[in-house]
Amino acid sequence: MATVPVGTALPTASPHPDRALDTRPSVRRRRWSRRRAANAVYWGACAAALAGVAAPVVWVLAGVVNSGLRDWHWSVLTTQTVGTGGGLLNAIAGTLVIVVGVAVIVGIVGIAGGIYLAEFCPEGRGGLLRGGSEILSGAPSIVLGYVGYVTLVVRFHWGFSLAAALAVLSVMVVPYVVKATEVSLRSVPTAYRDGSEALGMPSGYALRRVVLRPALPGIVTGLIVAMAIAVGETAPLLYTAGWSNNLPTAHLFHAPIAYLTYPVWTFYNQPYASAHRLAAVAALLLVVLALLMIVVSRIIVAVTQRHSETSSAPH
Amino acid sequence: MTDAVGTHTGTETALRQAEAGPAAGPPREVAFTPAFSCRGVGVGFGAKTVLEGVDLDIAPGTVTALVGPTGCGKTTFLRTLNRLNDRVPGFRRSGTISLVGEDLYDRHMDPLVVRRRVGMLFQRPNPFPLSIHENVIAGVKAHRLAPRSELRSITERSLREVGLWEAVADRLGSSPFRLSGGQQQLLCLARALAVRPDVLLLDEPTSSLDPVSTEAVEDLLRSLVPGLTIVIVTHNLAQARRLADRTVFFHGGRMVETGETAELFENPQQEETRNYVSGRFG
Ligand SMILES: Nc1ncnc2c1ncn2[C@@H]1O[C@H](COP(=O)(O)OP(=O)(O)OP(=O)(O)O)[C@@H](O)[C@H]1O
Ligand SMILES: [Mg+2]
Repeated sequence: MATVPVGTALPTASPHPDRALDTRPSVRRRRWSRRRAANAVYWGACAAALAGVAAPVVWVLAGVVNSGLRDWHWSVLTTQTVGTGGGLLNAIAGTLVIVVGVAVIVGIVGIAGGIYLAEFCPEGRGGLLRGGSEILSGAPSIVLGYVGYVTLVVRFHWGFSLAAALAVLSVMVVPYVVKATEVSLRSVPTAYRDGSEALGMPSGYALRRVVLRPALPGIVTGLIVAMAIAVGETAPLLYTAGWSNNLPTAHLFHAPIAYLTYPVWTFYNQPYASAHRLAAVAALLLVVLALLMIVVSRIIVAVTQRHSETSSAPH
Repeated sequence: MTDAVGTHTGTETALRQAEAGPAAGPPREVAFTPAFSCRGVGVGFGAKTVLEGVDLDIAPGTVTALVGPTGCGKTTFLRTLNRLNDRVPGFRRSGTISLVGEDLYDRHMDPLVVRRRVGMLFQRPNPFPLSIHENVIAGVKAHRLAPRSELRSITERSLREVGLWEAVADRLGSSPFRLSGGQQQLLCLARALAVRPDVLLLDEPTSSLDPVSTEAVEDLLRSLVPGLTIVIVTHNLAQARRLADRTVFFHGGRMVETGETAELFENPQQEETRNYVSGRFG
């Protein structure tokens, strides 16, 4: 509680200096209780907002985990789908292949694009790249899937395939990585750039050795978001990947591939208990996969930031 | 060592002459190729002219202070001396600047080599987000000045040079941001010295430091000449008097006066200088 010693002239911008300096006990008490009330209101509002965000998350998680665990049996990890029953090994493997593929493509293209926009693109240029990227991120995924189907799958004769799935998913999520990379690079303190330039480092070298590092958490977060979206997408994959009861093959084209969102979406509408069971387990696996990605990204961030200006971890 | 070092034997000769000291004659004046020689130098950004018509020689192995009221172009001028303004949008420069007899802005002059030869220290300490050891050798690695096996000893030598070795010897692998502000500035100095520059440009290097750290940095700077040429921007006139052999006064878009420090402070030739050094403005 900030009491004002009697007789102290405070440098104050208040339009009523005499009121601000009014230090009679009754006035002070009234102010104190008013401030306490305001404080309580703010705390209440914050708590309500937190609950508003947390409740649906907890609800969804609880539902998914509950039904997933009820129907859990370890053989889903080791056997392939047969009709609407069996296991999910093919879908797990397929999703991993797709996510890794997307991460590689988007990691290279998106990070390169973001670096170009933030570092090398002359002032006032890059509007095309930026605008295109924004339009892409606004396009509904089912539209992208449809376009992918019409052009890649049908016109180019790629068939339902890993290539078509990767192409559409990458196009869909690359804007997130471009944006994340550009924003994080731009927020790197200019002191690092000045310092490395003044030492005579070539700009590419300075970027790799000094400037990229503090930007990494933002870039990794963007990449993880992109991967999470790729894991969770259904519509574009229905159009491009098809579905397969078999494990992924080394063929990029003409080989449909399985993925975890398919059973969740399709099997749930089947009138069989085994299909419902697989849908519940697939949903649980999707949640676990998303959590794993978050954990991995945290670890990457922690390791790369151990010398950062803001890291408070003791050495 | 790479050819980056071989290209400036001229400087080293000049420095050796300077180090020969008073016995070999007057070391400071133009008997040697100046470290910097500016003729009719003008700098500006876009339509705005910051400085015009600067004629200035900076003798090797000396300390030169640049003083003047805020916004008069000290930083801009300093950054022009190691071509750090090259990529600043709108920057323009006229006149000639030579670095030990070579045209600094010549087409064949590699700005990266220039910056290795002309190091710089900023107002606020700016260690990189790397370990202390990696910070010290950042420039050495960038210019491939030494094989891997020598990097440790370069770190130790550079940190000893700035008097920081005792304090950080046991935590070379940890973050520089847990050092005090003064220690961080010394670390940046060690980083700048590790590439063996001929000239060091300092932009108000002690303005964010306490008096004790300031004194440490000043002592250190004094001990670096005449092996090194120092150009320092400072708002602290007492610091200019303590450190500088010569002082340059900028004001109103031009260089008003330059001279031996004592002379400039005791007996300024220009009215503006007199007003500034007596604290009447700025
Ligand atoms: N990048 C820039 N673009 C445009 N104008 C600039 C730029 N940098 C500096 N200026 C202008 O050039 C003038 C000189 O600036 P400079 O930073 O060199 O002053 P200074 O003498 O170092 O001042 P201080 O003592 O406050 O550091 C100022 O008017 C400033 O606004
Ligand atoms: Mg300045």
